[in-house]
Amino acid sequence: MTKVNELLEQFHKVAVSPEEQLKSYLSQGRKVVACVPVYTPEELIHSMNLVPFGAWGAEIEVREAKKYFPAFICSILQTTLEMGITGKYDGISAIVIPSLCDSLKCLGENWKYGVPNIPFIPMTYPQNRNNDNGRAFTKAGYLRVIDDLEKITGKKFSEAELAKSNKVYNLHNQAMRRLSDVLVEYPWISASQRNDIFKSAYYMTKEEHTTLVNQLMDLLLEMPKETSNMKKIITTGIIADSRDLLTIIGENDMQIVGDDIAHESRQYRTDVNESKDALEGLADKFSRMDNCSVLYDVDKKRGDYIAEMAKRTGADGVVVVMTKFCDPEEFDYPIMKKKFDAAGIPSVLIEVDMQMNNYEQARTALQTFKDMLN
Amino acid sequence: MSEEVIKKPKYVEDPNSAKSKLNKITSDHYSNLWMAKEKGEMIGWCASNFPQEIFETLGLTVCYPENQAAAIAARGAGEKMCLISEGDGYSNDICAYARVSLAYAKIKDAPEQNMPQPDYLLCCNNICNTMIKWYENLSVELNIPLVLIDIPFNPDYNPSKAEVEYVKNQFLEAIKQLEKITGKTWSDEKFKEVMEISNRTSRAWLKATNFTKNTPSPLNGFDLLNHMAVAVCARGKIEAAEAFELLAEEYEKAVQEGTSTFRAEEKHRLMFEGIACWPHLRVTATELKSRGINMVATIYADAFGFIYDDLDGLIEAYCNVPNAMNLEHARDKRVAIAKNTKAEALLVHTNRSCKLWSGFMYEMSRQIGEACEIPVASFDGDQADPRNFSEAQYATRVQALTEIMESNKGGK
Repeated sequence: MTKVNELLEQFHKVAVSPEEQLKSYLSQGRKVVACVPVYTPEELIHSMNLVPFGAWGAEIEVREAKKYFPAFICSILQTTLEMGITGKYDGISAIVIPSLCDSLKCLGENWKYGVPNIPFIPMTYPQNRNNDNGRAFTKAGYLRVIDDLEKITGKKFSEAELAKSNKVYNLHNQAMRRLSDVLVEYPWISASQRNDIFKSAYYMTKEEHTTLVNQLMDLLLEMPKETSNMKKIITTGIIADSRDLLTIIGENDMQIVGDDIAHESRQYRTDVNESKDALEGLADKFSRMDNCSVLYDVDKKRGDYIAEMAKRTGADGVVVVMTKFCDPEEFDYPIMKKKFDAAGIPSVLIEVDMQMNNYEQARTALQTFKDMLN
Repeated sequence: MSEEVIKKPKYVEDPNSAKSKLNKITSDHYSNLWMAKEKGEMIGWCASNFPQEIFETLGLTVCYPENQAAAIAARGAGEKMCLISEGDGYSNDICAYARVSLAYAKIKDAPEQNMPQPDYLLCCNNICNTMIKWYENLSVELNIPLVLIDIPFNPDYNPSKAEVEYVKNQFLEAIKQLEKITGKTWSDEKFKEVMEISNRTSRAWLKATNFTKNTPSPLNGFDLLNHMAVAVCARGKIEAAEAFELLAEEYEKAVQEGTSTFRAEEKHRLMFEGIACWPHLRVTATELKSRGINMVATIYADAFGFIYDDLDGLIEAYCNVPNAMNLEHARDKRVAIAKNTKAEALLVHTNRSCKLWSGFMYEMSRQIGEACEIPVASFDGDQADPRNFSEAQYATRVQALTEIMESNKGGK
């Protein structure tokens, strides 16, 4: 148990102080590349012996970024730009920003002028992606990222190294998928601790993170599985790392038994097919990604996907964690809600942003939701 | 003794004027849609910047939810429609055109601007990714097929070869999909003809809009907002080419005669940035006119002027629409327009509905202001939701710009 707690504490430390991790990598002489959501090709960066470093914003006040963004852009991107402008990313070699939503397109354009000391590398993905034409365009986008990374960092790309990185990332994906299922049996691990494990993955190399996650699972599996009276929930949204929100989930005796959070499990659903050439394989991986608000889906299967997840995990309900001003998620919500209702799955919508300092509305909504589930 | 009543002669529009012909094209557009629907033809709902050459060649009948939403908003029902969508769980953060359109798809009646329900959807996201989300939802709610031509935002100055190839292959695939959906057949000969007409229309449209470079301008810039509907919905039709050619002739004549559709003394010349604030069009126009400010520059003119020589050129033109460009390219285009039209100030509509258009506009408008040495002011508004606009704020910002323009003139 002590060892489990030590590991949980280790994840926590990394999750809450990414700046320490950044300093540490830089002091080791490693070159670091910031990766903005949602699907930045970390494998490419990793394969060039660069450290991919997650840039998903932070709970900080926005001042300087207001000179670039109007107020109705989501806080993830506002605070990411704020961190860049105020020097929090100093020492980072470059930032890769994919343009999967309209606000992300704007972040890239603003970054060039707000943070001129950290080069912006765009990654342009296709929406008509699951066919040869889409895969060819994804590959062209990756080649452009590689070219920029080579010029900026002086590192060289090779297919052989990418094949190794693809494997490292596949192993990490598998560990994270398994982790989500294993944690269901150990309800005493809180929503905050679960988030620490997921969040810390963005600030560590995947080899390190996979090792720690596997150690944690091995230790847990030696312990007796537990049942509890906690209400089981699925979370869905872009990001759900607010300490306040996670604490309220815990206070209301809710256990997250699965998630469709872009910052968490959406990253780990799809593996690279290692039998393909490495770069082709990576492009193929993106082509098969789905059930996400920033990926075109004419059938809008995401609601069914979550309903199925709820069924599989025995969840009592779904908590929709809506990032304020995220229109892709806001468009998905009414369609998903219909699917949840049709499947008889209770759901609640909680609106969050990184500037919130009053969670009373969320608290009341979750208390009411808990009463409803009872 | 009875009092003699002197009546003003009733204004009768010259049926041979360009304005009349353009208005007829718009009204015919809607009446033709209803006739087509009655005849049992399939109707498409189409994104404003979907390559119209495809459906013109196939002979399909389509209409434009963006035009419809603008018309509904301009006629005062934007809020009513938005509230219907919000009642269905759509956040008021979402683009108001989309909220109006999703509401219309549900209630199927808006006396302010009705149009037939669709049998299929044509989406293109070269103006924003919001189009994808909006059309995905229409497709699911109405249970009809959706054809998407994905034209990504281009982070470089010009589209790459890879992008042109990606879009071209989708263009060809969309033709196959539409042949299957509608049973119509593609003809290369017809395509060539449509391309010729579309270029002719675009050239005439660009020529007509370019007359704002004259001082005084022969037109009130707000006229362009009305005529734009034709540039959107009838670019591939010969009547549109002819009407815009006539419009250009009229403007040329007006320049020679020193007349203008701007019914005030043109004291100042303004560049307007962003989609019109349709619910408050009269207020926004009157505030400018009362101060003798004519809108002489807008990116709208370029937005619907597609000039190309062949299929690759066509694809590049659709990749190069204003909202698919990086900041530098978008800025340079605007700087060229502002300089060409001798704009003396830039007024920016920070449009609550449009994250892409407003999301890097602060920086871009700063750069335009510096490059053209003109003052810049912005106001908060919305293209279709009337709740996001303050008349007082707008007036204050326009007043500030006016004072600077006056001061600049006094100093010269």
